[in-house]
Amino acid sequence: MLRKSLGALCAILVCFSGLARAAEAPKEIKIGTLYASSGNYAGVSMAQYSGLKIWIDRKNAEGGVFVKPFNRKIPIRLIAYDDQSNTATAATLYNQLITQDKVDILAADFGSVLTSVAVPIARDHHMLLIDQTGSGATFFSKDNPYIVLTSLPVSSVWPKYLAGFLTQEGPKLGIKRVAMLYATNDFNGTQAATLRDAIKAAKGAVELVYDNGVPTNTTSYTVTINTIAATNPDAVVALGYVNNDIAFLRNLQDSGIRFKWLFTIYPGLETEAVEKNVGAKGLEHVFTYVPSSVVAYRPEFGLSLSEFRAAWESRFPDGKVEFGFNSVAGYTTGLVLEKALASTDSLDQLALRKAIVGLSGKLKTIDGAFELDGATGAQVGEAQPLGQVELDEHGHLRFVTVYPPELATGKPVYPAP
Amino acid sequence: MRSALVTVAVVVAAAALLPLAYANQLLLFNFVVFLTLAQGVNIIYGFTGYLPFGYVGFFGAGAYGFSLAVMHLHLAPLPALACAAAAAVLLGLLLTPLLRLSGAYFAIANLAASQAMLQIVSNPNLTDITKGPYGVSLSGVFSPNLSYGVAVAILAATLAVMVFLRHSRFGLALQAIREDPVTAGMAGIDVVRGRTVAWLLSALVAGSIGGVFAWYVSVFYPETVFSPEFSIFAIVFALFGGIATITGPILGVLILYGIYNAIGISAPQYFQLIYGMLIMGLVLFLPNGIVSLFKRWGFDVP
Amino acid sequence: MLAYALLAGVIFGLYFSLVGMGLNLVFGVMRIVNLAHGDVLMLGAFAAFWLFNLLGLPPLAAAPIVFVVAVAIGWPLYFLFVPRLLRARDPEMLSIIFFFGLSQVVVALATIAFGTNERSIPGRVLGSGPVHILGQSYPAAWVVSGAVSAAAVVLVTLYLYRTRLGTTTRAVMVHREEALATGIDVHRVSAIAFGVGLGLAAVAGVFAPFMMGSVRPAMGADINITSFTVIVIGSLGNPLGTVLGGIVYGIALMVMQSYFSSWANLLPYLLLIGILLIRPTGLLGRTLRHA
Repeated sequence: MLRKSLGALCAILVCFSGLARAAEAPKEIKIGTLYASSGNYAGVSMAQYSGLKIWIDRKNAEGGVFVKPFNRKIPIRLIAYDDQSNTATAATLYNQLITQDKVDILAADFGSVLTSVAVPIARDHHMLLIDQTGSGATFFSKDNPYIVLTSLPVSSVWPKYLAGFLTQEGPKLGIKRVAMLYATNDFNGTQAATLRDAIKAAKGAVELVYDNGVPTNTTSYTVTINTIAATNPDAVVALGYVNNDIAFLRNLQDSGIRFKWLFTIYPGLETEAVEKNVGAKGLEHVFTYVPSSVVAYRPEFGLSLSEFRAAWESRFPDGKVEFGFNSVAGYTTGLVLEKALASTDSLDQLALRKAIVGLSGKLKTIDGAFELDGATGAQVGEAQPLGQVELDEHGHLRFVTVYPPELATGKPVYPAP
Repeated sequence: MRSALVTVAVVVAAAALLPLAYANQLLLFNFVVFLTLAQGVNIIYGFTGYLPFGYVGFFGAGAYGFSLAVMHLHLAPLPALACAAAAAVLLGLLLTPLLRLSGAYFAIANLAASQAMLQIVSNPNLTDITKGPYGVSLSGVFSPNLSYGVAVAILAATLAVMVFLRHSRFGLALQAIREDPVTAGMAGIDVVRGRTVAWLLSALVAGSIGGVFAWYVSVFYPETVFSPEFSIFAIVFALFGGIATITGPILGVLILYGIYNAIGISAPQYFQLIYGMLIMGLVLFLPNGIVSLFKRWGFDVP
Repeated sequence: MLAYALLAGVIFGLYFSLVGMGLNLVFGVMRIVNLAHGDVLMLGAFAAFWLFNLLGLPPLAAAPIVFVVAVAIGWPLYFLFVPRLLRARDPEMLSIIFFFGLSQVVVALATIAFGTNERSIPGRVLGSGPVHILGQSYPAAWVVSGAVSAAAVVLVTLYLYRTRLGTTTRAVMVHREEALATGIDVHRVSAIAFGVGLGLAAVAGVFAPFMMGSVRPAMGADINITSFTVIVIGSLGNPLGTVLGGIVYGIALMVMQSYFSSWANLLPYLLLIGILLIRPTGLLGRTLRHA
């Protein structure tokens, strides 16, 4: 009897404390992040930041984001500072977000360089770093649970299908000699290393006849293109950031040299920026990472590409920030957070991490299939298939996915006419 | 001399105690870094007239000296800091021939030297040694509180050197060189030796604080520690406060870097605009720094 | 391959001598370092971009317009800021900081006005297809930009050596105080040189979309470092030395890109340091001023 009534009492108490907890629900969920309105990363950073803002605006218009521990929607407050692409400033501001603004969720700025300084700071303060696009392999280790990569795969995963195509399909098409040029930064260098290893592992199926880095701030490729052409390659892989790709493709077009098979990263990722600068004609037959949104799988959660595009255009009508992969990346971060907040046990940082890791394999967004390496927090999903840019009868760009076979929508054109 | 020592004591004590009251330790750390760098610029520019436009080269050399010692020699942080200082001084020695250049030639050659350092360190061919463009991760020695303390100690040492320079025969000799090297040489001052010592001293300062920066930040890319903004900030802060004094660069950092952070946190969208206009205004209306204002009002500033 | 790189280096170098020319003219006449030089170039590039996209004006037509506008802006800008700067104790050094501030303002305004996107003008606007020179083929855009740069250099030479204004400008370069004493209107001469300096930077900007792939508000900083390299190799304050500096720089860069591409950006810096150590005032510099 006594035990029973004690049990009842406990149940009531638990109930009460639960109620009390619900009543204590915060008025807002504070999301802290940084952006660069100026400096080297301004273009890409603003795109990512604007993508995240679209998600926040949409949630707040619905009264907030649903947070499971409080069983209700809570409005989001975005606290964002401008690091001007300066890492020392970024470090200070990450710390400001953690220690002064006491944000509930900490999201990094664009890319590895501006994310790097946040990694130890977040870890030190036991804050989970929502790493959006910082794909540097050194960030992820088994002894640091305070980081997850949400919106793109870790650099070493990127060339998975590119390497697969060159080593598996390449020899069948007659591709034997591969030339590889890469900008010497973490993002491009890591991909180059992965591709180099894959070609080595293929044991002579294809050979690397040119393998050189160029400084990331290279803006003139004419001489390099001539040098590559002199090695008589069957396929050329040029890995760079968006401005490198633009300069490379423009110089190639102007030089009159044609490669039989050419891969660059950004025609698929920042299609508009590249098309505007290079022109549709200059992109014809170029191979690239295909944006996941045009591949066979459709998003099961969040807006589709066309819906997101429409939301983007009504929110940022002036066109000062380019729509593209990085804007999708910022929006994807929001979607991951939304799913995680709806399933987490509490707002505790490690609980949040558990919830995000729990999404692995279960979330398909505009950005592809979300898959985390649960041990390190590195993204291993969202890999970009290999595609080729073709022009339709109106001269508009069209992506043909050529590899892997299960996602392919067409055959590669080789050699490019 | 006494007022100088008091100033130094107040700054160091504040730097040491503020983390207890204010939680954004990194902000304070960056203040300490810039206080030190601005004094380093002061040593070479204030006392000899050489504008170290590529001062960040020493900072980066220190950061990589520290990192290499930790990664390859598996040294503890404090001995690794000695390597950081040594790396910067070594670079300074290598660059002493630059002191033969004058005016803008020196400034730009120095800038080129710092950029050359970046190109070398970040070259993928050196990945096995420097980690090339892939960046350094020193999470094994990460220790924010200890590294903060050491940074404050380096700041204290730097300020002490400045007090010495201001009040020693050597410091006076340096200033004589700055005003007129030919006359100074005729008066029996060893011009070459004086400049070289000041140059290496400023390299030592930047290298040491660069090493601590690497320790504190622990995950970084070559671009982070060789960012030309470190040089420009340190120079602007020192000049804004007033060079060849101790208080000048301190005030410069506290005011300008303070404003930099205040705008950055409160009105980020117009940040660059406001900051740029502020700098232009200061150069036009206070070309000899804040301390000249105090001097005009009749205060003696150390 | 070597021949290709050498000739490319000459074309590229000619363009880079135009890039550095304005900076050097301003330094030569006023002894001030215009750290906003790269940003003026950026503004010129954006002007060309908008003139092309809104009015369909090709770069060759845009260049003289951009030049005139830049000179017209440079003139009042000179009187607003430079005389004040020159009165300071160490104008050479102080100007570095002042123009750093100006550069920040320009970049901030450009970012607000244009956004952060990459922009460019199609290469075919400067002529389609590659051009064959000495058995090698180069992009038409390069050849045209190189030719325009050469023409600009010739015009600057004529201005400096064949006009009265040019003679007085050179007098101010040699010795500002003496020029003042002989009754030369130093401020007028300087203001014109300042305007022309900005104008040359802006014209270089018109061709930047072709020579540098694309343009964006933050591009100025990299341009500055390159311009300094070029003009210091040639000799500070000697506008014609810039041509030599530009070609040395261009050839060094292109040869490195061909053979040791990952080290390509290192060589120009080493070259600069090396040349200065052998000839402390650049290749065409006069002897040292003092110890």
